[in-house]
Amino acid sequence: MPHNESYYYAAYAVATGIYVAYAVLLLVRWNRVKARLPGKDE
Amino acid sequence: MLALSPGVTPKWSRRMLEVLSDAWLIARKDLAIEFRTRSAFLSAVVFALLAIVIFFFAWDATAVAAIDLAPGVLWVIFTFSGLLGMHRSFGVEQPDRAIDGLIAAPIARESIFLGKAIASLVFVLAIQVIAIPAVGIFYNLPLGPVAGELALIAILAAIGLVAVGTLFSAMAVNTRLAELLLPMLALPFFVPIVIPAAQATAKVMSARPVGDAFAWLKLLVAFDIVFVVACTLAYPFTLEE
Amino acid sequence: MKPTPLTIAALIAVVVAYIRAIFFTPLEAIQGPAQKILYIHAPAAWVAFMAFGLVAITSALYLWLREDRLDRIAESSAEVGVVFTTVVLTTGPIWGKPIWGAYWTWDARLTLTLFLWFIYVAYLVMRGAVDDHAMRARYSAVLGILGALLIPFIHLSVYLFRTLHPKPILIKPSAPSMPGEMLTTLLLAFAAFTLLYVALLRARYRYAVTRDGANPAEEHRAA
Repeated sequence: MPHNESYYYAAYAVATGIYVAYAVLLLVRWNRVKARLPGKDE
Repeated sequence: MLALSPGVTPKWSRRMLEVLSDAWLIARKDLAIEFRTRSAFLSAVVFALLAIVIFFFAWDATAVAAIDLAPGVLWVIFTFSGLLGMHRSFGVEQPDRAIDGLIAAPIARESIFLGKAIASLVFVLAIQVIAIPAVGIFYNLPLGPVAGELALIAILAAIGLVAVGTLFSAMAVNTRLAELLLPMLALPFFVPIVIPAAQATAKVMSARPVGDAFAWLKLLVAFDIVFVVACTLAYPFTLEE
Repeated sequence: MKPTPLTIAALIAVVVAYIRAIFFTPLEAIQGPAQKILYIHAPAAWVAFMAFGLVAITSALYLWLREDRLDRIAESSAEVGVVFTTVVLTTGPIWGKPIWGAYWTWDARLTLTLFLWFIYVAYLVMRGAVDDHAMRARYSAVLGILGALLIPFIHLSVYLFRTLHPKPILIKPSAPSMPGEMLTTLLLAFAAFTLLYVALLRARYRYAVTRDGANPAEEHRAA
């Protein structure tokens, strides 16, 4: 069996990183937009 | 079948002829404007010649034969100089919002699109007429015997390029990043034109039988049909109600 | 922003899929540990194309019905779609290097995904460059439909190119019949990432509704 664990770890890390980064972006943008609208609650 | 006398000609075919003749009027107007200044055409020609020279000096002539390089060079030239012409296509209507005059005129909106596409087609064909012999001369390739096949590939590809490029020109010109956006929108669509065209060009230049390039030509024709129709139908949707 | 049941379910599903793929799925003998990349690569590819399918459908519907909600769904699906497409294009080469010997080999599916990425990016950049909402929606809809028309042509071009220019590969990627455990993991991963897509889509859509100052009651969409 070939020893290519580093690729396996790298791919999982990169993919997870991309999803997490996007989720963070969504949250940051959401907060920015909420700050503009003081009336709404949620 | 179709008899052209007014009493017998079906309404739809008279309508089509109307659309096409209006389109031709618009094409003539655009070509007249371009002919007077020639600026876009000259830039495109200069770009083409420059590309031919640069590619020549950029490759190792002992490792790559001119005949292998030439198709790529030609199609890069047509793609980018075509973009130059197509940017201009709706660009000329920007000053004083001249496009409003065209839209208000009693012509079908499809005619505006088709007219501009035809003008761009003439533009691209003119570049091809200059660039192909130029490549033959500068790279010392005998293109005379295959001129007919090359012309067929060139025309089929040009039709696809201008259909897509004209539509995106209409859209890009109204945005903030017009010069960036036109290539960004158009180039992915150019790829299924350029791959078959370049491959067919390579086959034809190597004096292979036309049959080898047949599959690529069929793909080009299919693309042309689908996108000429789709872009013509899409154009009115890009305008306000 | 309080997490909805959908978001929580999606996160749990993804975590479960990860755990099963990493700890409870056997290694593949020929490809080794790198084969496990499949469990995040393939589902991402499925979502990437499905997301674009939704962009295309809502684009066509928008031109017909002129409903702003449809434009917002298209915009959201495009943004979430490009994220998944990026995952495909990063995990693909990382998988390709040990298996094929090269990061990029113009593999038909990966090349098609590359073009999907280009279309997505062009779509999003164009949206960013148009200020007028109505024009932005119209242009996006046209691009969404044309992009969908483009996909089969790219596929045909690449396929034709490859059948005429076959490339050698070092190790053949997973055979059509997978052992039961691996198949289960793969299917679980597909389900989990699809759920993640739906959760992200909804979150992105709600953001778009709030950003546009639209009536909150309007956000109740059927799906």
